[in-house]
Amino acid sequence: MRQTMASLPGDYVHFKGQIGTSQWRYYDYGPKTVTPVVCLCGIAGTADVFYKQILSLSAKGYRVIAADAPAVRSHQEWVSSFEKFLDTLGAHHVHLYGTSLGGFLAQLFAQYRVRRVKSLLLSNTFLDTRAFHEGIKWASFISWTPEFVLKRYILSGIRDGPQEPLIADSIDFVVSQLETLTRDELASRLILNTTPTAVGQLPIPDSAITIMDTNDYCAVPQVLKDQVSARYLGARRAHLKTGGDFPFLSRAGEVTLHLQLHLMRAGVEGQMPTVGKQLIVKDLNVSLGTKDNNGPLEEVPLRGRGGSLRRLADPSTGSDENPLFRSTSGQLDSSRVASLEGRRRASVSEREVERPQILPRSWSNNVESAPQDPEAFAGGFSDEEICELQSSNQRPPDSTAQIKSNNLLGTGAAGSLNEE
Amino acid sequence: MSARKRTLLKVIILGDSGVGKTSLMNQYVNKKFTAQYKATIGADFLTKEVQVDDRLVTMQIWDTAGQERFQSLGVAFYRGADCCVLVYDVNVMRSFDNLENWREEFLIQASPHDPENFPFVVLGNKVDVDGGNSRVVSEKKAKAWCTAHGNIPYFETSAKEDYNVDAAFQCIAKNALKNETEEEIYLPDTIDVAQNRPTKSSACEC
Repeated sequence: MRQTMASLPGDYVHFKGQIGTSQWRYYDYGPKTVTPVVCLCGIAGTADVFYKQILSLSAKGYRVIAADAPAVRSHQEWVSSFEKFLDTLGAHHVHLYGTSLGGFLAQLFAQYRVRRVKSLLLSNTFLDTRAFHEGIKWASFISWTPEFVLKRYILSGIRDGPQEPLIADSIDFVVSQLETLTRDELASRLILNTTPTAVGQLPIPDSAITIMDTNDYCAVPQVLKDQVSARYLGARRAHLKTGGDFPFLSRAGEVTLHLQLHLMRAGVEGQMPTVGKQLIVKDLNVSLGTKDNNGPLEEVPLRGRGGSLRRLADPSTGSDENPLFRSTSGQLDSSRVASLEGRRRASVSEREVERPQILPRSWSNNVESAPQDPEAFAGGFSDEEICELQSSNQRPPDSTAQIKSNNLLGTGAAGSLNEE
Repeated sequence: MSARKRTLLKVIILGDSGVGKTSLMNQYVNKKFTAQYKATIGADFLTKEVQVDDRLVTMQIWDTAGQERFQSLGVAFYRGADCCVLVYDVNVMRSFDNLENWREEFLIQASPHDPENFPFVVLGNKVDVDGGNSRVVSEKKAKAWCTAHGNIPYFETSAKEDYNVDAAFQCIAKNALKNETEEEIYLPDTIDVAQNRPTKSSACEC
């Protein structure tokens, strides 16, 4: 996979090179005035694996960010990198949805960055990496391990054998995503997963935590999941009967429902588009008087963050020029749109927090073609389609069709509902 | 491959608005009752560990907004339900008449494998009101309806007085568990899916 990519001539390589390894790849959909929920994937996934939640929740007026980290070498580095990433997006307060390793990192972030995390939705996750450290004998050699060994090791954690169709599809999708990761990224994830660390006391109350484990099976041993439940006794248990390791794909509708209920309990309300145009401007100017939302922004002390936010403001007005944001003709079904977009993920260099080259994305009118019911396109990725996506991803990003982000703040499905 | 699989039962409560769905759930799970009426927004659920026979199971009880049919949350809400509880208010005839609609709505949305034998339980709530004087649906009438729809178990309850609530939910858990064990097994086609996957995922084929 990487070789094929590297052999591509010209601009795509350049484009890919720009993203490099020290940058976050992410999606940021939905109105910017709503406190976002940030989805963090496990060891094998990418930001793309949450596309179903992104589509359906942003259509309900929630802001959803799915992020996947650059290669880092320690938990501390991840935490500070994630913080910079959120600063860049102007997301001061966040709700975190983390599965497996993502859930572990979400807890660490909540522990070390007090007050930023408003609530946690933890799925098939753990409190302590020691068990994984003991399970891997070559932990100290991860940084020098060749890519195929790392991949094989990660794949060995995914359950083999016959599965029901939706779960089989979800595995295929995640495996195809794994192929897009570089050696450094794979190593980084394994390092995060195996460096012995434990989650300490969290500054948020149990009532702000929901645990959403799958009841059939998952790669994280039951003992470790039980420790999570035992630690957060007052947490809400939103278990799914089935779903395997990747319920966000295999049980997308249910996961979205639980996410929505979790957000509702945490006091987040979806914001349907009203006057889309002004919203982004207000947000970025960080006028403390913004009254459009329930006020998470208002209570944010600016504490030296205003600078970076204001800087974000200038380029954002010109974000129409963002060549990475490609409008796809309405023909594509939305699951494909999401995946296609995935190959053109916007990215933010963490070294360039002050001057992001690529801006947070807004949701586009694409959603209008999105089915209202997330279940409707469940299983929409057959192998063929994935191949197709992969081949299409090697085409240079189409910069002709651009989307004016100012018009899009509203969200799609709602837009289609309100459309006269 | 854990030694003993934990059992999770999904129970859905349906019925007209104001019949006491949320109160019944709260009374059963939290042992709390409030006379204040607050419309449920969307849906919500509570979980409770229950002992059924000698098994400890987790019951996930879903409460719905009776106002709107639950279209906004869609099939995900009904998916995988093990038992459906239909609630009406014994003092309101209309809420009883609507049981039929709720039952059909459920069968359409959840589309269980065996709709004929899917476990329902009917609860006639608010029997405490006015010492039973304002009652308009007789026990006999309710029982006749239940018999006509495949011998659905029927309970008269009062969430306020905590009358019969535990017994009703015990029966719900039992019926749900019966359903759960029947539906658990998934038989895959004989095509070996596993054979494709390792080849596709191996690092050399791209």
